[in-house]
Amino acid sequence: MATMQNPYASEYLRVIHPLDDEPEQKCSTEGLAHIAMTPAVRISLGVLRGYLIVMSAMLLYHVLDLAGIVHQLR
Amino acid sequence: MVFGPGLIVMEADNDAGAVSTYMQAGGQYGLHLLWTLIVLLPICYFVQEMVARLGIATGKGHAAMIYERFGKWWGRFSLFDLLVVNFLTLITEFAAISLALSAMGVNPWISVPVSAFGLTLIVVTGSYLRWERIVIALCLIDLTWFALAYLVHPDWAAVGRSTIAPTIPAGGITSSLVFLVIAIVGTTIAPWQLFFQQSCVAEKRLRFSDLKWARLDTLIGATFTVVVAGAMMLVGNYGYQRGITFEDPAQLAIALAPMAGHLVRDGVLLLMVNAAVLGTTAISLASAWAYGEVRGWPHSLHKKLWEAPGFYATYIACVGAAAAFVLIPHVPLQLVIISVQVFAGLILPSAIIFLQLLLNDHELLGERWVNRPWNNVINWTIIVVLFALSLLLAAQVMLPNLFA
Repeated sequence: MATMQNPYASEYLRVIHPLDDEPEQKCSTEGLAHIAMTPAVRISLGVLRGYLIVMSAMLLYHVLDLAGIVHQLR
Repeated sequence: MVFGPGLIVMEADNDAGAVSTYMQAGGQYGLHLLWTLIVLLPICYFVQEMVARLGIATGKGHAAMIYERFGKWWGRFSLFDLLVVNFLTLITEFAAISLALSAMGVNPWISVPVSAFGLTLIVVTGSYLRWERIVIALCLIDLTWFALAYLVHPDWAAVGRSTIAPTIPAGGITSSLVFLVIAIVGTTIAPWQLFFQQSCVAEKRLRFSDLKWARLDTLIGATFTVVVAGAMMLVGNYGYQRGITFEDPAQLAIALAPMAGHLVRDGVLLLMVNAAVLGTTAISLASAWAYGEVRGWPHSLHKKLWEAPGFYATYIACVGAAAAFVLIPHVPLQLVIISVQVFAGLILPSAIIFLQLLLNDHELLGERWVNRPWNNVINWTIIVVLFALSLLLAAQVMLPNLFA
């Protein structure tokens, strides 16, 4: 009677936790300058600056309001 | 399979402030706002998936990436804003611990320092895995919210209907309804989450091949979080049905005791403490990791206390200072809560813009890790909505007369 050979018999699976594994080469910023100023990056940062200016202006108004200065100016 | 950062970041997001917001939503509008959670589920997932992908691709935290790719100005701005909003949020977490345990008869001078000490102990063991296992156990305690939701016997058919079909509450669309919806969005997607998960993924040294598991982890975490949030709304809804008005979950818990029993009261109070503890450890770690990355200090839970003194000192300083602040008599908590909303309105849109731009940085990530066009369509839509909501919420806080 022919015996079937199990091709996987000599193999086994070993699960390695990431903390115990060899470190891999990650995407690095080494040797890279700052992010390229593509139109998308330029517009996004411009919008962000505008947003932060509006928020800062609101915050300033709120602080002046709490201090009673806005009321005095009216 | 790797599991942990996705579940932890999502469940820690159900912190004390979130418990308060979700229960307030149930307490003021019954089941009417359940649908918001279904809308928020994919938003949470898409944002955090980008964070996990960036963390796996670079092996670095979000603060470090902003510094390295956008320069010192944006790096310092993001870090400063993150540290401020995190510290203010930590104060609200300790205030919740103090409030909930006071309602159970524990003096704040005991509950707050003991909590701060316990929160320090769980990170200084020199083992990331030990910290992760403890925190996952705390996350799973949140399963108790389902038991509480079951105990208050909601109308399950109405729950199903309200979850899938938005309905307008009896008073119509008022400004308080709109701002509660914005508050729900704001509490579900918090700025520290972006920094925390990316640093956590880097800390766990997830490999490229782990991305599919990190995505599954994030999806499970997002689903678990919104379902738990739904359970919180159902408990709040019990108060709504009985005409109980409350300003915080501790008040509701005490008012519920004669009707729903002491089990529900103590359950709500202890879950509030658990939520605050989870939020505190995650937020403090987000600050310590971010500060350590930017300063170039050793910043890892794998290291012993003396091997990463700056990192652990930052964590302990965050926890200790917030705990001490809460113990000051007549502390202006309302001012702290307003400041959290204002600073979150500054940091969330900026952090999320940087995330989106980094995920389109072909020079850094190559073709394998950058966003696909469909990713970008979804993510830019989410960003525009979050910008608008953050601006609206900040405007409502700072210029209340505009909405009167």
